[in-house]
Amino acid sequence: MAIFERRSKVLGAAAGVVLVSVTLAGQAPASHGKPLPRTAWGDPDLQGIWSIATITPFERPATLAGKPVLTEEEAAELEKQTLKTSNQDRRDGAGTDVDLARAYNDFWWDRGTKVVSTRQTSLVVDPPDGRVPAFTVEGQKRATARAARGYDSWEDRSLWERCITRGLPMIPGPYNNNYQILQTPGYVVILHEMIHDARIIPLDGRPHISPAIRQWFGDSRGRWEGNTLVVDTKHFTDKVSFRGSTEDLHLIERFTRTDASTVRYEFTIDDPKTFTKKWTAAIPMTNTDEQIFEYACHEGNYGMVNLLKGARVLEQSK
Amino acid sequence: MRIRIRGAIVAGGAALALAVLSVAVIPTAGQAPATYKAPRSPFKDGKPDLNGIWQANNSANWDVQGHAARQGPVLELGAAFSIPAGLGVVEGNDIPYQPWAAAKKKENAANWLTLDPEIKCYMPGIPRATYMPYPFQIVQTPTHILMAYEFASASRTIYMNSKDESPADTWMGWSLGRWEGDTLVIDVTSFNDQTWFDRAGNFHSEALHVVERYTPVSRDVLQYEVTIEDPKVFTRPWKMSMPLYRRVENNAQLLEYKCVEFVEELMYGHLRKKK
Repeated sequence: MAIFERRSKVLGAAAGVVLVSVTLAGQAPASHGKPLPRTAWGDPDLQGIWSIATITPFERPATLAGKPVLTEEEAAELEKQTLKTSNQDRRDGAGTDVDLARAYNDFWWDRGTKVVSTRQTSLVVDPPDGRVPAFTVEGQKRATARAARGYDSWEDRSLWERCITRGLPMIPGPYNNNYQILQTPGYVVILHEMIHDARIIPLDGRPHISPAIRQWFGDSRGRWEGNTLVVDTKHFTDKVSFRGSTEDLHLIERFTRTDASTVRYEFTIDDPKTFTKKWTAAIPMTNTDEQIFEYACHEGNYGMVNLLKGARVLEQSK
Repeated sequence: MRIRIRGAIVAGGAALALAVLSVAVIPTAGQAPATYKAPRSPFKDGKPDLNGIWQANNSANWDVQGHAARQGPVLELGAAFSIPAGLGVVEGNDIPYQPWAAAKKKENAANWLTLDPEIKCYMPGIPRATYMPYPFQIVQTPTHILMAYEFASASRTIYMNSKDESPADTWMGWSLGRWEGDTLVIDVTSFNDQTWFDRAGNFHSEALHVVERYTPVSRDVLQYEVTIEDPKVFTRPWKMSMPLYRRVENNAQLLEYKCVEFVEELMYGHLRKKK
């Protein structure tokens, strides 16, 4: 990801200039010269409603090995192809399982239609091959155990199916990809539309809460490094896992407003019990004029009832 | 977006003028006494700063009306989880139910354990979320005010000076806010009929219309006043009021009370695979 690294360095240099200019004008110059917005008390302003919907894959497909960035033409072609293959409004093959799986037609999906603005070929940017590093031996054991889970009880199902949380970090999903950032002095708040989680991040330098308190969202502390909001999150409960991570996960997130309509979101996964090395993904968050609405999930979780009931009926019929 | 912000500033100017008038000339019930002037918002919009972590300290969640202490529903829990007495927070202590609704309230109370949505960890609705025994945090900006509740990670956004309508019924309501002097007034509509007011079976229909008033009366106290209107259930609007206290601990922060996992056995246990 040579291009990416170079860009971050340019941004980093701009951040150095900012510190000086804040005191003079209260506004920070962006890398392209336009002032970036600032709050009334002088922090970089990240506020707004942001979407992370994208068709860019999380990991780089084997077919794009060695190619970190698409050309404009390649990006346009990928968008065209993806829309075609993911089209759930097709009605060919009526009566087959493939067609039955399109019962959620395109009205219900909100995966986005574009690759990310950087045209990177994967959201994973480090390691440079765009792939999540290998599991440790222990991590692999846990992954195998996870894959074997069935339908004996709700505990076998994902936290999302159980309507507990979609968790951290923020990654594009098939729908409800909108997040609202609000700021007050001493806090940055990220409202996740799904499942109405308001993540309140103190910036006042207070220490983390006791490690005896483990949480689904861990415990987050933020700070400004130049124009970048850096958020450290620790103390996850062992009941939550991101791609196999343990309760020892240290999540580092970086938010940088790169222009009026973009916040660059980057997260690093540091969990030596699970991954053989640290790894990082980067997702541009794009400003949207959509609103955040109430996402009631557990309140109408007929899916869980029907899924378990179905499994019990299947057992009876065996 | 830019248009909306400009609108808010203009409206803010008008409200500021109104604030001066109302404090100086016509202080009404529930508004701040002229002697207390809350700190102003860091957004420099002239509004009082309500940011903070707040919590009620009463037994309204057990029963918004006055009630004596009584034994709890689980024998084994004895004195630890019995029901504390309370003076009540309803003005006049009378909830003006229509006759059919009074009967339903009694039925709700008699079947509390099976009917109260709190027991299933459903989002509690407004005003109940305000006086449950958990803190909530106000995150105030000029255009959006977020109220984040510890219970069930429920949250709601209050749109300031907006006339947008909710596209659907909701658990936490659709909140439109405005400033009347130093009082934050929130008009809440578009509820479903699934939430209750307390553990005593007090309820409403989807016609519920709630008007909340948050007034800073000292550095660490908001006076909360709420008017309940529901022509399908009550014969007239009625009011509740109570102070909300700031959580003043230096390290105060909302923790998680993600209660879904506490109710799964209760709700789905009968569907677990038999060993």
